Parts: sequence; C-alpha cells; structure tokens
Amino acid sequence: MPHLISIERAGIPSVFIIFEDQDECWKEACKLNGIAPMRRIWGSRHVPGPEDVDSWIDDLMDALVRPLTEEEKNPPPWKVSNERILFEGTLQEAHEFYQQSEKIPALMNAPICKYTDGLPIVVPTEELVEKMLKGTSHKPDEIITYQKDRKLGDRIQQMGSSGKAGDPVHFMPMKRTATVEKIATIGVMAGCKPEHMPLLLAIAESGGGCGDGRGGGAYVVSGPYAKEIEMNFDTNVLGPGNPANRSIGRAAELMWRNLGGNIPNVTNCGVWGSGLHNCFPENDDALPPGWATLREEYDFKKDESCVVTIQMGFSIRNTEFMPGGYRELQKSGHGGIARRLGVKGIPGPHNWMEYFIDHLWADGEGGKTFLMLPEMARDLQIYGFKSKDAVYEWLYDKSFMPLKDYRTHQSPDVWTNGWKAPEPRSGKNWLELPEDYMVPAVADPYQNCIIVTGGGEEMSLWTGGRGRESAYGIDVWR
Amino acid sequence: MAEKDKIYKCLNPVGIQESVEQHPLSPRLDKLEGKNITLSIGAGGEQGILIPLRKMLPERYPQVNWNISFAAPHATKEGSIALTEEEAKTTDGLIRGVVW
Repeated sequence: MPHLISIERAGIPSVFIIFEDQDECWKEACKLNGIAPMRRIWGSRHVPGPEDVDSWIDDLMDALVRPLTEEEKNPPPWKVSNERILFEGTLQEAHEFYQQSEKIPALMNAPICKYTDGLPIVVPTEELVEKMLKGTSHKPDEIITYQKDRKLGDRIQQMGSSGKAGDPVHFMPMKRTATVEKIATIGVMAGCKPEHMPLLLAIAESGGGCGDGRGGGAYVVSGPYAKEIEMNFDTNVLGPGNPANRSIGRAAELMWRNLGGNIPNVTNCGVWGSGLHNCFPENDDALPPGWATLREEYDFKKDESCVVTIQMGFSIRNTEFMPGGYRELQKSGHGGIARRLGVKGIPGPHNWMEYFIDHLWADGEGGKTFLMLPEMARDLQIYGFKSKDAVYEWLYDKSFMPLKDYRTHQSPDVWTNGWKAPEPRSGKNWLELPEDYMVPAVADPYQNCIIVTGGGEEMSLWTGGRGRESAYGIDVWR
Repeated sequence: MAEKDKIYKCLNPVGIQESVEQHPLSPRLDKLEGKNITLSIGAGGEQGILIPLRKMLPERYPQVNWNISFAAPHATKEGSIALTEEEAKTTDGLIRGVVW
C-alpha cells in the first residue's frame, strides 16, 4: 500500500481493482498512509471473468478522468489523541465503560467491543497497573522496541514484525506503538500477574498477537521461566484452567484489539479471525535424549527462556488415533496403522508419522509444526531419530513430489507468479522443467518444528510451520 | 465514602496512534486519447479477471497507449511494486489489479 500511495502522490492518477468487502479496509489503509481514499472499482467474487470485466471496465477508465470530488481534493484531517487516563469513575462504571461496543455496519451491524475481546475484563486502575509494573525492571514510559535485529524481509517489514534493534514495534493493522505501561494495562485487563510481565513484553515485541494485522497464533514458552510462572505442561495444555496459560494468551488477543486496532472488515480484512490465542510451554523434562529444546534451536542458551510464535488457529489437524490404535501399533504391531505401515505383528516402536506422511502436503505446502506428546516423541527417538533435526530432514525428504502433482497445488500459482518465476533449486523456468522433476513441498527442513508438550491419550497435533526468526527472548524483559 | 463509590483513574490500553497528514488524490487526466496508461497486473492470482481485462482494455480503448506489466511474485517486495522508476517517468495513469 505505501508504494501504491506514493505513485498517486507523485501525480500519477490511479485506479485499483479490489472486492466490495474490502472497501472499508481500503479506506482505512489510505487514511493510515495519508491520502484520500484512492479510487477503486469492485470486481466480483462470483461472476465469470469476461462478464465481470465487461460490467465495470468503463467505470474503471472513467475513474482516471472523472474530476475529483471536494473530499478527494481536501480530505478531512485525521487527529488522534492518546490520553493516558481513559476513564475516571467507580469500578462498576468502569466495568461498563470498558465493556462498551460499537455496531459495525460492515459486519451486518454486529457489535464489536472497543477495548476487550468481548468478555469482561479486570479494570486497569492506576493501582493495579502500578502493581503489574513491578514484574519488570523496564520503565513504564519505555516504548516497546525490538531487542535485536529482525530482518524478516522487506515485504514483512511493511506488514509488521520486523525492524532493527531499538526500532519501535508497530502493531498491525493500525501501525500503533506501545509503552511498557500499555502492556501492563493490558496484562491487568486479561487477568495476568506481575510475574507474567517479562513474557507479556516478549509477546509484545513479537507483534502482540497482531501478526500482519489478521491476528497471530500461539505462543510457546521454552525455558525455566515456564515453571517460574507455573504454566501447565500436561494434559489440557491448550485448554482452560491454568491462570498463566490462559491469561497470557488472552492478553495477546487484547493486544491485537487495543494495540493493533483490529476491527474485522474495517481495519482488518481477515476471514475467520484467529481463534483464542494460546500460550503454553514446551516440556523440557520430557524431551527424548539428544533432542534439542526449542530455545536451543533458536540459539538461546539452555538456562535462558524465550517465547516462540507459531501459526495456529487456522489449521490444526491431529493424528486421529482412536483409543488404543496407537498403542496397538507400538506394543504389538496390531491394527490398521500397522497394516498401512506393513509391520503387522511386529512390536514397535515404529515411525508413526508414516501413517499420514503421504497426504501431509496434499492440499498445501510448507513446514509443519508438531505438538507432540512426550510418549510419541520418545517412540520416534527409539525408532531411530536421534535428534529433532533427523525428523526435520526426514520430513523434508518425504515432501518431494513430481512437478506434475505439484502443479495441481493452488498456492504456487501465486508465489511463482503464474509459474513465470524461476524454480528456486534448478534456477530454470518452471514451465521448462519435465513433469517428473521432483519438487519439495517444504523449502527448508527447518521450517518444520517439533514441540514436545502435553499429556494424555496418544494424539499429536500439527499446524503451519515456523519462521526462522520467530523466537523472542523473555529474560531481556525481566 | 463507601468502597463502591470510590473513584478510580483507569488507564488507556489503546496503542499510540500518530496523526497522519492527509493528502489529496492527484488530478485526473483531461482525456484518454494519446495517454500512456499502465495496467499493472498483480502477482499470481485472479487470472479470471486479469486475462480478459488485459485483452479488453486495448480493444475497447485503442486511443490509449497501453503498457501492460506483470508484478514479481507475491510475498516479495518487488511483488508490491506497481510501477518501476522507469515506467513512472512515462506513465500518465495507472490501473492496478487485483489488490488484495
């Protein structure tokens, strides 16, 4: 968007093709970037292309010559006040104030809370926020900045979550900034405790649950800090009940609303929204011998703590092992899994990932993040994977498929720019490669990630892969 | 004063938003005849719209000097570039689609 606006501001009249449901977000993005709403026409999501284009092609051209309106010539100023004290009154009045909502026409007039996730909050009085601030040595008026360089790429930079050490973090979609006191305020609202502050600040450094504006995912704590704040490592690790797991995850969601300014269909053109932000720990004690901790994978020391952001909420899948099925495989080679793996009657441990590997990338590419129960990790280690890296490399090797099949995937249409970009490994044009050319669905083995955590019935989950720079130190925020 | 009547100062959780000066749109073209207009085709998708559009524009508006360009792949900085510096020097008007 900044580039498109620079063209218009350079004196080149422009018109854009978007979709009707994106119109409010378009106007907000223009305002945020300092220009009157740029002209656009709406394509159809349904009408066949030629008919669709025929219906608006003349409007498209007219937008380049039709004289400007008064509002396009003189857009109203956008003045924002940033008051520290938002409300004064009794606690009862404050509860009602913070719970207020506004009806959003772009959401069929559904109300959206102005400050909360829709649920009641703890009122952030000065006294409670001051108490929360005791959980960190950082000053209340300190702006949240990157504690080290975050070079996730130029495009990511304009989408948030990237900058040099000392640069302020911009919370998306509204590109706001925040102080330590704002994070403490949100921590109070979410029900957090002062000892949660270092983690809350690390989550804020990661973008605060905002992602690129469409909401983030989950937060995995790796290191001794998880025990300090008494997180749940065991059964129900993603579920409710534990104060730390749940309130910290909720704080990330409140950051998205308050720091990012998320209003669906107004500032954020997402689709489903991101489900409840979870925060849960890696279980160090349950790692099989030779398997690195998550923080070591990101070059932290073993006695340090970090939080790793993972994409979760859009696509969690599970191993679908019915009660007993996994145990039958591993104990004695019985059942359907054993039949598929060709190990009927042979006691395990067997590589249970073989059960679903053939369709792991059937409808999408990229690395996978596995939330793996300790017992299932241990079985893989005994089977022969002496490190996590060995699993990652096995997954990478298994992800190769013939180009003929890869061409039936959807997302490469976009990122290969209609197959016109060079294929990364050969450097040749995609369309020049033979149909049996083998393409990996995962660009890099280390886009895969294993998090050993949880407990209970033998079932693992998987979701989208990880980024190279998705770990944020907690200790620097103590 | 009863506890329930105590007045509290409550803090603002909303992030710090900078005010942004708002600029007008650029003046429109006085006519289409003889103008250099770039159709910048966004990376990858929406070919259902963009294939007929790039065919129909020159057919329906032959008086325009058309420059049809294709963006670099999606999710790259280049993919968000609608006009190169060179194109900007000679372009009178821009159509960009589809913008997600």
